[in-house]
Amino acid sequence: MAVERLLVPLSDTVTVRQTVAYAVRSGLEGADSLECHLVVAMPYDADVPESDQYDEDADGLLSRARNWVEEDAGGADVTIETARLGADEYLFGPRDYAEIFDAYADEHGIDRVVLDPEYQPGVTAQLLQPLERELERIGLAYEEAPVERSARRGRLAGGTEDFDRLFATFLISYGFYLVLGDPTYWFDLLTGAAVAGIVALSLAQVTFTVPLDRVQSPLRIVRFAVYVPYLLWEILKANIAVSAVILRPSMPIEPTLTRVNSRVRSGLPLTALANSITLTPGTLTVRANNQQLLVHTLIPAAQEDLFDGGLERGIRFVFYGRDSAAIPSPRERDDAEVVGGDEL
Amino acid sequence: MIETIRFWLIAVLLGLGVFFTLVSTIGVIRLPDIYARAHTASQTDTLGAGFALAGVALAFGWEQAAVYTVLLLFFVFITNPTAAHAIARSAAETGVEPLLADEGTDPDETDGPAETDGETT
Repeated sequence: MAVERLLVPLSDTVTVRQTVAYAVRSGLEGADSLECHLVVAMPYDADVPESDQYDEDADGLLSRARNWVEEDAGGADVTIETARLGADEYLFGPRDYAEIFDAYADEHGIDRVVLDPEYQPGVTAQLLQPLERELERIGLAYEEAPVERSARRGRLAGGTEDFDRLFATFLISYGFYLVLGDPTYWFDLLTGAAVAGIVALSLAQVTFTVPLDRVQSPLRIVRFAVYVPYLLWEILKANIAVSAVILRPSMPIEPTLTRVNSRVRSGLPLTALANSITLTPGTLTVRANNQQLLVHTLIPAAQEDLFDGGLERGIRFVFYGRDSAAIPSPRERDDAEVVGGDEL
Repeated sequence: MIETIRFWLIAVLLGLGVFFTLVSTIGVIRLPDIYARAHTASQTDTLGAGFALAGVALAFGWEQAAVYTVLLLFFVFITNPTAAHAIARSAAETGVEPLLADEGTDPDETDGPAETDGETT
């Protein structure tokens, strides 16, 4: 009995439903029995703190797709396999995706890959053309599902949001260009506008992964400027404390590993907090998952500072405003503890 | 008069920069394990580079080059913790045990390197 084995990479697009339908239909045409492998490739940043969200999305998509296949198969002999790929690798470019599909295909004896024309792995821009080229290079048979594309997704709804991103990216790159160049020279003004335009058009979608707010986002920059001197002061204090310890002949270090549950959103705020902690000598962020920071501290004073949560308040001030900054320290709200080395 | 003060201010700033870089080097040699060394390596980038670049900015005076040094410092401040975290994280991922104060030497763990993606619960 001939078995056709198909690999269908899924992503959340408008055409994914039609792609699955096509895969089932075409698979059953050629053979009397079909093995349908539905996979979701986890994006390269699935490793970041919001990874749980990605996992949930992927599982939701997979279970929906499984229902679709069952629905389309009718009474035919269809086996469904689902998998999440690449969770422990950094999938970045089309080549990585092609290779991971190829590895999966080898392992499961896949005959053919059915691609969604709108395939969009993760948050990166649409990837299909280069992915096709990479699949050709690797020699994996693929087919693009002939779907009817409805009007491009979300153009109208995302209009102002897209504009905000474009505008912000343009402004940042134009500003940076002029700082490096001469803001009073017409040539720099002109070329800067051209360069910033290209940068904004090509990178606006990847620069900002969360929607911008017209009031809050500029305000955050201002508050960040207030936060920087505070951070510098903390760095100076910590530097002197650590230097004193290092230069003492007895070198009284007390390395500990601590866990702090921070009260900041994942993404940029958490990155800013973890980076501030690492930037301060004496504390070093070893891991960060889901607001939970694993911090290595070198001297007791640094640990005290960490548990007092000064930097955390600073970051909350930058991102949420002054009212949110006044929260209890991690020690007071029982979110900080010293843990052993096997917590790594 | 102003020029003399400026000269000595530059000299002091550069001296401080060199001092913190030296301390950081001594720290890297003296400290016991990779995690502890990562702490002190960030000293070079923060105060070492910070004071040195402040001296440079002062030497340039109020010119565009001074703006460049501030930008330089900004990028150093972004990249340094990223690199330090990457080193510490990869050390943790490959199973390097930190030397901790209360437990004396490293607690013996026989599972070898952590194979999961390190979700601590």
